Amino acid sequence: MDKQKILIIDDDEDILETVGALLSHEGYEIHSADTVEKGKAMIDEVSPDLVLLDVMFPEKKTRGFEAAGEIKEKNPELPIFVFTAINREYAFDFNKDDICAEEFINKPVETDKLVALIKNYI
Amino acid sequence: MMNPKTKVLKQFTDINRLLSWFIILRWIACFGVFIALLTVFFSLKYDIPFLNLYILNSILFLLNLFFTVYFFVLKKKILSRQEMNVLFHVQVICDYILLFLLIFFTGYLENPFIYFFVFHIMLTAFIFSRRVVIFYLSVLLVAFISVTFAEYFSLLPHFGLYPVSQQAYHDLTPVRAFGLISTLVITGYLSTSIKSRIEQRGKSVEVELNRYKSLDKIKSNFILQVTHEIRGPIAALKGFIEMVLKRITGEIPDKTDEILRKANRRIDNLLTIIDEMIDYAYMKSEEDAKYISQEINLREIIDYNIDLFTARARDRKMKFSVNCYNDIVLTSNRDLLNIILGNLISNSIKYSREGGTISIIAEQKNAMVHITVQDEGIGILPEEMDKIFEEFYRTQRARKIERDGTGLGLSIIKRAVEALGGSISVYSEQDRGTSFHIYHPCKRGEVESNID
Repeated sequence: MDKQKILIIDDDEDILETVGALLSHEGYEIHSADTVEKGKAMIDEVSPDLVLLDVMFPEKKTRGFEAAGEIKEKNPELPIFVFTAINREYAFDFNKDDICAEEFINKPVETDKLVALIKNYI
Repeated sequence: MMNPKTKVLKQFTDINRLLSWFIILRWIACFGVFIALLTVFFSLKYDIPFLNLYILNSILFLLNLFFTVYFFVLKKKILSRQEMNVLFHVQVICDYILLFLLIFFTGYLENPFIYFFVFHIMLTAFIFSRRVVIFYLSVLLVAFISVTFAEYFSLLPHFGLYPVSQQAYHDLTPVRAFGLISTLVITGYLSTSIKSRIEQRGKSVEVELNRYKSLDKIKSNFILQVTHEIRGPIAALKGFIEMVLKRITGEIPDKTDEILRKANRRIDNLLTIIDEMIDYAYMKSEEDAKYISQEINLREIIDYNIDLFTARARDRKMKFSVNCYNDIVLTSNRDLLNIILGNLISNSIKYSREGGTISIIAEQKNAMVHITVQDEGIGILPEEMDKIFEEFYRTQRARKIERDGTGLGLSIIKRAVEALGGSISVYSEQDRGTSFHIYHPCKRGEVESNID
């Protein structure tokens, strides 16, 4: 069976490297993009099974939330995990329930937990 | 936060109160004049035209009846700005004319009550701008000067209080008139000046308030930024350590493994401290009551928090025991509940011996939910009980167990519980354990939130 593909979209290259390496160690095929635009293009290109999406991008602090909605609009079936270093909802003007994402996880994330969550979806 | 809408509303209610007050004052005046006239009629020997005065007082009565019905009954105290303005002017004009006539028929300059105009001018200054006050004052002064001249030169009759001393009245008229006019001018000047001073102070308070609000906004943004800027790199750091520990980069000696695990633990502590400081800063700036209320299943949120700590509890060979019905639903705020439960569980793990049990019990009692977090840990000394909720306070033994710590955890919990309209209490037995009891209202009715 082919490896399942996970796309990580984050502007922090170290996160791309570490989360990528840890997940690929768990047997996933990892693709990464450091901007939302590149990430959206890659969804069409590699058709991932799941997307890990950062929230804060240099252009806008809640870009990830919007991006989740944009991705869902085109690919309603694609599971999205929004992940962010900010672990308090109050820091955003967003209600968690309004965000088009399957899971909402905080960095740093324990790989075991992340994998367990991923297995619920793919 | 007070938005522009509520501010306009507030101003309106102030003016409303003023209008109600005027109408009530006028009723008192009307009643007072009536009593005064009766008293004079039956006891004193003044020769004044009672009929005119009763008619005037009746007009005052009817006018105020009209104002009362119009304002309280017809408009139910809700007037447009335009209507209010008109109502104020009509009232002021009527009051001046009626008082003038009442005084004119009762001795005019002789009547000590002529100084009641002082009150009228003060109230006018209270409502209107300086220009309007100057206008009314000028009209009043012109009226006074004209009538005084007319009386002085016998163009108008004088309704004297003491028929015998009319010559003396006549001679004293210029002095009396001057006294009156200067009093009224000074009253007008002082009232408007004091009012503008008060207004200026009000404005500067408002400026301060706005500055404070924008500072608060900056603070919230700052919290967001700091969280991101600190937690982001730590996430990467932990990722790198995990990569090495998982041997993704190749085999490592046992000693390196051990050291990296220690480093990892220290980073976890650091994360807790950052969270506490951020929560603390957030709670401190919480004037806006922006905690969103939502329906939350208590069992789910307990499980979520336990899940966050399973790894740490496993390291210390500790167990969780949860006793909570699945159907308890709270109207609450998720962040605050997470802060409360997360901090309590984290404390219980930290300050317990290996192998203990942490029990979380929740039960609904009428409109309250009682949540207990109980451990079998070191406990709190009785003499330290009073201080544990204080900011930055750490007990002696807590310090011994863990060097890193802000001493903010419990004070944050207390603030969070209070922000949710609940209360917290603690029971502890040394070396036997501690239990924290939280009473949370099922509905957040009592909590002031989302006012706008």
